[in-house]
Amino acid sequence: MATTTITKTEKLVGKRIRRREDPRLITGTATYVDDIKMPGMLYASILRSPHAAAKIRSIDISKAKALKGVHAVFIGEDTKDAGAVPCGASLPGLRVPHHNILAIDRVYLVGHPVAVVVATDRYIARDGVELIEVEYEVENAVADPEKALAPGAHAVHPQWPDNVAFTFHQEGGDVAKAFAEADVIVKQRITSQRLIPNSMETRGVVADWRAADRTMNLYTSTQAPHLVRSLVAQILGLEENRFRVVAPEVGGGFGAKIQTYAEEILLAWISIKLQKPVKWIESRRENFTCTIHGRGHVDFYEIAAKRDGTILGIKLKLIQDLGAYFTILTPGIPTLSVLMMPGLYRTPNISADIVGAFTNCPPTDAYRGAGRPEATHGIERMVDMLAAELKMDPAEIRLKNFVRNEEFPFPTATGLVYDTGDYSAPLKKAMEMAGYDKLRKEQVEARKQGKYMGIGLCAYGEICAFGPSPATPAGGWESCTVKIEPSGQVTVLTGISPHGQGEETTFAQIVGDELGVGIDDVLVLHGDTQLVPYGIGTFGSRSTAVGGTALYYALQDLKATIKKFGEMLLESDDVTFAGGQCTCNKSGKSIGVKGIAAAAYRAMKLPANTGPGLVATHFWEPPNFTFPFGAHLVVTEVNGETGDVVIKRYIAVDDCGNILNPLIVDGQVHGGVAQGIGQALWEQAVYDDNGQLVTGEFMDYTMPRAHMMPWIESAHTITPTPVNPLGVKGVGEAGTIGASPAVVNSVVDALSTLGVRHLDMPLTPEKLWKLIAGRNA
Amino acid sequence: MKISGLYFLPLPPEQAYQRLQDPEVLAGAMPGCESLEKIGEDEYRMKMKMALASLSGNFDGKVRITEQNPPQSFKLMVEGSGKVGFMKGEGNLKFTPKDAGTDVSYEGDVQVGGTIAAVGQRLIDGTAKMMIKRFFDKIAA
Amino acid sequence: MIPQQFEYSAPKTLDEALGLLAEGAKPLAGGMSLIPMMKLRLAAPEHLVDLGRIKELSYIREQGGELHIGATTTHHEVESSALVRGKCPLLAETASHIGDVQVRNMGTIGGSVAHADPAADYPAALQALEAKIVLKGAKSERTVSAGDFFVDTFTTALEPGEIVREVIVPIDGDGTGTNYQKVIQPASGFAIVGIAVRVRKSGDKVTMARIGVTGLSNRAFRATEAEKALEGRSGSPAEIQAVAALVGQGIDANSDLHASADYRLHLASVYAARALATALGRIA
Repeated sequence: MATTTITKTEKLVGKRIRRREDPRLITGTATYVDDIKMPGMLYASILRSPHAAAKIRSIDISKAKALKGVHAVFIGEDTKDAGAVPCGASLPGLRVPHHNILAIDRVYLVGHPVAVVVATDRYIARDGVELIEVEYEVENAVADPEKALAPGAHAVHPQWPDNVAFTFHQEGGDVAKAFAEADVIVKQRITSQRLIPNSMETRGVVADWRAADRTMNLYTSTQAPHLVRSLVAQILGLEENRFRVVAPEVGGGFGAKIQTYAEEILLAWISIKLQKPVKWIESRRENFTCTIHGRGHVDFYEIAAKRDGTILGIKLKLIQDLGAYFTILTPGIPTLSVLMMPGLYRTPNISADIVGAFTNCPPTDAYRGAGRPEATHGIERMVDMLAAELKMDPAEIRLKNFVRNEEFPFPTATGLVYDTGDYSAPLKKAMEMAGYDKLRKEQVEARKQGKYMGIGLCAYGEICAFGPSPATPAGGWESCTVKIEPSGQVTVLTGISPHGQGEETTFAQIVGDELGVGIDDVLVLHGDTQLVPYGIGTFGSRSTAVGGTALYYALQDLKATIKKFGEMLLESDDVTFAGGQCTCNKSGKSIGVKGIAAAAYRAMKLPANTGPGLVATHFWEPPNFTFPFGAHLVVTEVNGETGDVVIKRYIAVDDCGNILNPLIVDGQVHGGVAQGIGQALWEQAVYDDNGQLVTGEFMDYTMPRAHMMPWIESAHTITPTPVNPLGVKGVGEAGTIGASPAVVNSVVDALSTLGVRHLDMPLTPEKLWKLIAGRNA
Repeated sequence: MKISGLYFLPLPPEQAYQRLQDPEVLAGAMPGCESLEKIGEDEYRMKMKMALASLSGNFDGKVRITEQNPPQSFKLMVEGSGKVGFMKGEGNLKFTPKDAGTDVSYEGDVQVGGTIAAVGQRLIDGTAKMMIKRFFDKIAA
Repeated sequence: MIPQQFEYSAPKTLDEALGLLAEGAKPLAGGMSLIPMMKLRLAAPEHLVDLGRIKELSYIREQGGELHIGATTTHHEVESSALVRGKCPLLAETASHIGDVQVRNMGTIGGSVAHADPAADYPAALQALEAKIVLKGAKSERTVSAGDFFVDTFTTALEPGEIVREVIVPIDGDGTGTNYQKVIQPASGFAIVGIAVRVRKSGDKVTMARIGVTGLSNRAFRATEAEKALEGRSGSPAEIQAVAALVGQGIDANSDLHASADYRLHLASVYAARALATALGRIA
């Protein structure tokens, strides 16, 4: 129980404080969507297409309807009025497929929802699904974006036979001139494979329609409850103020829960139809095939440089595997890659062309890093290849091209303005921690013994704290209400929707320091649209940088009110509020937050122009993104006999600006690195030529596990951002963005003695063994 | 998935060719085949019950024989679908006399879809090989 | 888990269980393979007989110079048993490589053996140990050698209505060395290739070599050509390399997205060499 006093003097920000949310998580008392039970609740189970491309000839639901316990069976025809899955990204000439919540006459991916059975329990619902008979006319499918763009490929949508959803061009500077003047040009095709986000909790929805007061209660495992509310209310023609969305405990998202999905619309629609609460919980198998995927790039890079290593320009042709339809951000993700393509380098000339390709696969969308890992992987691979071409040390070429400290704010060739930075600091720190020069000597020795030892660097930048509203599809600001209760305890209502990021703790730390109250006297609430002011949600490393800033400004308003009450109660106009106390600078008398709160609510007397109560709300619009940066250094050894990669050392130096809670920052870096290593070495959504996902369960899709992780040596440099008063930049995606290029650069370095200059992920042992065996033979 | 192999049948090519087209023999040899019913020229409807380890499933399918070139080669197409997924196999069979018997070589493509494709990847290759071997063992018997 | 409806029995005696199995029920041991299949509705048994409450099936005991291990003994129990570690270290070592902690706490030796997954770990060790497997039906009991038991992918000598009652492994005296080496498929934890080696030396000569292989082909098998090539030799590094190269010879190797047939065969030879060298080095 919280027993700390209301006032305290110890500073909380910057301390390794354990997460306040963890006790309920580790004792199993948190409430997830599947824990919600309601009287009379029904269960939905969805029949999904086993084919990647087919016409639906007929659907026979009679047997399913006749099953005892089945309340209803719906097919696409029934739901025509319920509309389509929304996409929030817009690009000139974008072809947006109309994705009905249940397929109507065609299916275009494995897992496409075809019918839904609603029954008294989930077992009967599932039995009902098995009784539905669908006759399909199976067509050829295309699951590879390059094949989809080739002439004669199967058209994912018949109305667009070229499978092109959009093309997008961006350039800055004079790239033609840069390439004409270059001493050296390096070209490479680089892929970033499809990944399956795999949060621990799959998706799930409970919809509860109350006709009498026209109220919809929708419980859903989402990162953006208000967005779901606005979109689903609009799609179903419901009143927004009577539409409540609750994100209860959410067991991870990684970007895959920003979207508004077919099932959220479908469940709400069913609840209205049947006038009953209804639940659907996604199976892991559905999660693999029906929730969004990440990455899916085929990139063709060209980099032009002078003999001394100065980068003059970069050209990129980017093929994005979009999948068969769009979710909220699908077509926008590759544009983020283009924005980030210069990396941390001064590169004045760029040109990029994106082709968005339809495939018979699930949509790609935001997955931890969303567009920036792909871009970072590209530029960091290219810089390494350029260094190899010029026989320069990979550290030297990076240090030479970094944006210099005096150049901030730095306008990039892609139109961004980097806020602040000291880009060489993390790289130098990582090299110092590793003993870089000594390592290079060890490498020479190891090579003499026939060992494949590699040292890989990555210097990464990010676009975080999404973001200024013009740069986001649904607003990029954030909101916060802070209430000091009559007892002096504090309740924070934030518009962000944390699901593992730890803001219940970091926000309480901020409140503690600003108001001088103990951390246990602060309660941070989120994820309920009927409780908190309209908010944007949690994604894009934005929660603390944007949501935390909204909190900070709300606290400043409150502090001003507190001071007014302090002046009234202390009968002085020379009062300072600090450490939870209003103190009269003349008399030395003071009164704490608790006393002020009691007076503010009792309201026997009020300061001039001040109402009763202590509540403040702030909506904050950020003036810019933030641009965290850092460097990873990875030492690997590839086993020449088997191709196994062993990570000998993993050094991660991150600069996310000011650190509110080092424990949480380390946790975010570690988790991010695990996902980045996962992409580099193991993870891959593999589709066969018929559009069947062959890594469709954890038996074949290699999720990184704790025992597969190296020890991560984590350190930080601190360059506070001027974009927000907290000086924080965001850290949720940093580890993922830095990890994949660092690991791949290290393995390529290990095998460079065989003439290897590039390898595509994942670096499976067999792939490396073939190279080693082939070249040694 | 590509498949190929070679199987020796202790029968002269003409007989081997005939045997491999005899619906009764096929029905007896196809693993799990419960019935084979002629529905057209060289086309049969098949009901199969697959049982492998704890996996069990009923499949409705078709068998078709085309591109007949007796006694040298023909094309065999088998497809089936059920609740657990579907499969489709297509193979060219070639008959070459060897000693007193015949080498039957096959080369083809197997497609698997649905739940079995997504969760049984590591077993599909081995299972296909086992099924084919059982098939030929029965043909030879 | 949302399986199809099924009947569930949890008898306390083996006879009761065998009676139900004779009526066509399906046995459930640790459930590490069957339950996921039921969850995916790839398996839909109408009647499950849970063997987990039959006390007479869970034991490890020394008897007649051999170790008898009851069918429902968990992998963790085998891995941590002082008796197994002392008297048949190969089996304990192999058990320690199975799946992960959770699987080892639930999975059983009888279940693994009866399931005969072509990439399961135990079968390699049981082949190398020339283990005996006791099969029990409602009216009969018989003992089958591991060599005869593992027939094909998921196919064993078990007849309908029979279950694995126990596994019998030999106790090797001094002069024997063993080792299990495994290439893990990182997603599933199954073996891409697993090699169990059991060697005995007298003086400078290898007098017995047994090499059990799993994951490589349709079933676990003994690499008899390689065994013969080692017997009578000293087990020098060069000999080990030559013997290891024979392990995959003539084998129609499996291929999947984690390892092609060529790579599997290569790994079999690399890991056989490692297992042989380790086992020879362990001879007391």
